[in-house]
Amino acid sequence: MAKRKKNHSRKKQPIAVTVIAVAIVVLFLIRLYQVFEPLFRQQVFQNGITGRLFEGWKLTSLSMALLSSVSYFILSLAGIVVLIGFLRLRRWSWILLIAWTGLSLLITLINYFYGQPNYAVMLSNVIIAFALSNADVQRIFGIRSDENVPGL
Amino acid sequence: MSPASEHPTAPANTSDLELLRQFEPVVYYTKGEPFFPTDVAHYVQDCSLWEHYPDGHEDLLVKQGQLTVEKLVEPRPAAFGTIRFLRYIENLNLAEAAQVLADQSRLRAKKRNYFHTGIGRLARGGFLPRLVDGLFSLSFLLRGRVSLATAAAAEIDYSELFKEEPKYIYYGRVARQNGWVILQYWFFYCFNSWRSGFHGVNDHESDWEMINIYLYEEDGRLVPEWVACASHDFKGDDLRRRWDDHSELDIEDGHPVIYAGAGSHASYFRQGEYQAEINLPLPDWFTGLERAWNKFWTETLNQPAGSPFRIPFIDFARGDGLRIGPGGPQIWSPVLIDESTPWVSQYRGLWGLFARDPISGENAPAGPMYNRDGSPRGSWYDPLGFAGLDKVPPPPQALVMLKDNCAAISRRQEELEQLTAEKAVGLQSLGVKMEGMEGNPHLAKQHAALEKTLLELAAEVRALRRERSENSALLQGLTQQLARLEAGLKDEPHAHIRHLAVPDKPAQTFRFDRAAETWAAISLSLLLFAIAALIFIAPKYIWGGLTVIVLLFLVAESILRGAFVQTITRITLVLAMISALILFFHFWKWIILGGLVAIAAFLMFQRLRELTG
Repeated sequence: MAKRKKNHSRKKQPIAVTVIAVAIVVLFLIRLYQVFEPLFRQQVFQNGITGRLFEGWKLTSLSMALLSSVSYFILSLAGIVVLIGFLRLRRWSWILLIAWTGLSLLITLINYFYGQPNYAVMLSNVIIAFALSNADVQRIFGIRSDENVPGL
Repeated sequence: MSPASEHPTAPANTSDLELLRQFEPVVYYTKGEPFFPTDVAHYVQDCSLWEHYPDGHEDLLVKQGQLTVEKLVEPRPAAFGTIRFLRYIENLNLAEAAQVLADQSRLRAKKRNYFHTGIGRLARGGFLPRLVDGLFSLSFLLRGRVSLATAAAAEIDYSELFKEEPKYIYYGRVARQNGWVILQYWFFYCFNSWRSGFHGVNDHESDWEMINIYLYEEDGRLVPEWVACASHDFKGDDLRRRWDDHSELDIEDGHPVIYAGAGSHASYFRQGEYQAEINLPLPDWFTGLERAWNKFWTETLNQPAGSPFRIPFIDFARGDGLRIGPGGPQIWSPVLIDESTPWVSQYRGLWGLFARDPISGENAPAGPMYNRDGSPRGSWYDPLGFAGLDKVPPPPQALVMLKDNCAAISRRQEELEQLTAEKAVGLQSLGVKMEGMEGNPHLAKQHAALEKTLLELAAEVRALRRERSENSALLQGLTQQLARLEAGLKDEPHAHIRHLAVPDKPAQTFRFDRAAETWAAISLSLLLFAIAALIFIAPKYIWGGLTVIVLLFLVAESILRGAFVQTITRITLVLAMISALILFFHFWKWIILGGLVAIAAFLMFQRLRELTG
């Protein structure tokens, strides 16, 4: 029986793609922590959702925690989708990731200047931003096509 | 083969005026252009003559209505730093200004001479250049400027002047330099209304433009070879086009075609809308910083270059308006000029208002022979250098020069061959002699001296061989070129052009053109409203809010311009750099420590790998 030949002509991924993937995973873990942290703080896992969610028109600390947890959960899910697209070298995932990274950096910077720094997220985002702007990475995702592609 | 009408020639003994007439250009203007080439004598009669002194005050020398071209050139001694200038439009009070603006509207309606911007310059530049452009517009409050009413009054006065003298005039000069016959066509306009009429950079009273045609003599006939004209952002070789370059130069019945910019009257070879950019006069330290940043941005981060400190302006050379030139209803009236024409050589002042503009954009220009500061104008005394032709011989001379060059190099090659052979024999002889000295310690001194001579001779032989080899390559190139020229073949017609002026293609630039144009017009004001609202509603979050608002505007703009990916990449990178600096500021010890550990580990890995084979 003829063995299936390995596809040797397959494009080699630049190291930056792996770096980004690792950074996304790190961010995913941080976001996952941020999903559960407010719930632990409000002892939701021990007592369930027992308190009031609204006091008049205002949100209570419990509802704030739930909201924050849900937002981070959605972000984590989005991270997984982007990671899958990224590992499959899809153009849309690159665009989504750069937009997401930009937004995340903006929020992190605003938080920093208002006294709530999150250096781990900042570092991950910096790594992702620089890696995404790498010319080889941009070419492999079809973002730029200006020059010959040496070594790819 | 192209028709003979596209390659007209003239007998070498043709008079200057006839020569000028035979090759005079056809100029196409943009619809809405209010000023056309006119007569300087009539213009001067409508002007007053003034002097501006270094201490800031101004004196009226000759009143409006009393000035003539003869009076203009009368000798008038003046102190250093004095600026003499004409004034076409006198100061207008508020009522007069309102009156001329209303008259201008009526005149345009009567002539049905309207200009429609279309997709204007604001939408073609980015958001940051627009922001800088806003500041540039505000700078007119501080800089001297020619008012809107002055432009309107000039338009009305020119219309009256044209009624008295319904002619389109050019001032022609024929110069002969280095085997070339240069036909210079100078066009005088009463006013440059680029800013007030066509959203351009500047307005100024009077405007001088020029087109050059370069001819050479062959078999008793003059043959046109090049056409050159002044243009924004370009100089030297980039200003000229070869007569047979059909992709870059239109010829109508033996006459070159030029498209004049609306209001600016700058000349273009192709019709269209050109993006001209002006650099702001920034301080040196700032320019240095910008250069360093651009280097880091393009070379280190490998991102496309771009500067927000260049303001884009559109020069509309649509060619959909009046056509002046042979073969049509509107023809030229030529007037011969040269250094002996008094108003050309003896009046060094400005031909219109000195607006006290430090950047000079709003000050009137000087005449054909001079710059604004009274120094000689390069395009007059060096018309060849103006178009980068000072290094180019006329084709028949080029052939002779090439043959001479080939012959001289061939002669030198023969000399070199002989010389190399002689020296090489001498070198070998020295080598043999030195070999014979080996093993004789008492000959050490002579051996050392001989070695020195030998090294010098060896270097000489090497240099001769190098020269011969280089000459051989050069000769090969020249011989090929000679063969091409002898066969009647020419070089590629725009091989000399480094930067080609290419008109914009606005229809392809924008995804949502109307929305982009509207956004471009209102975005700056919207931004200011948003900032005002932020200060009023959330003063505590002013910096964070401001950043978010500016970024939102940039992203909205990028979507309309179809440049979302590029913009978001730039924003993210800038934010990443700020974050990286913050991280370094807080963790520099750890970063240095980490770097040292990483280098140590790498070196250890390398050495161990070497050790283990």
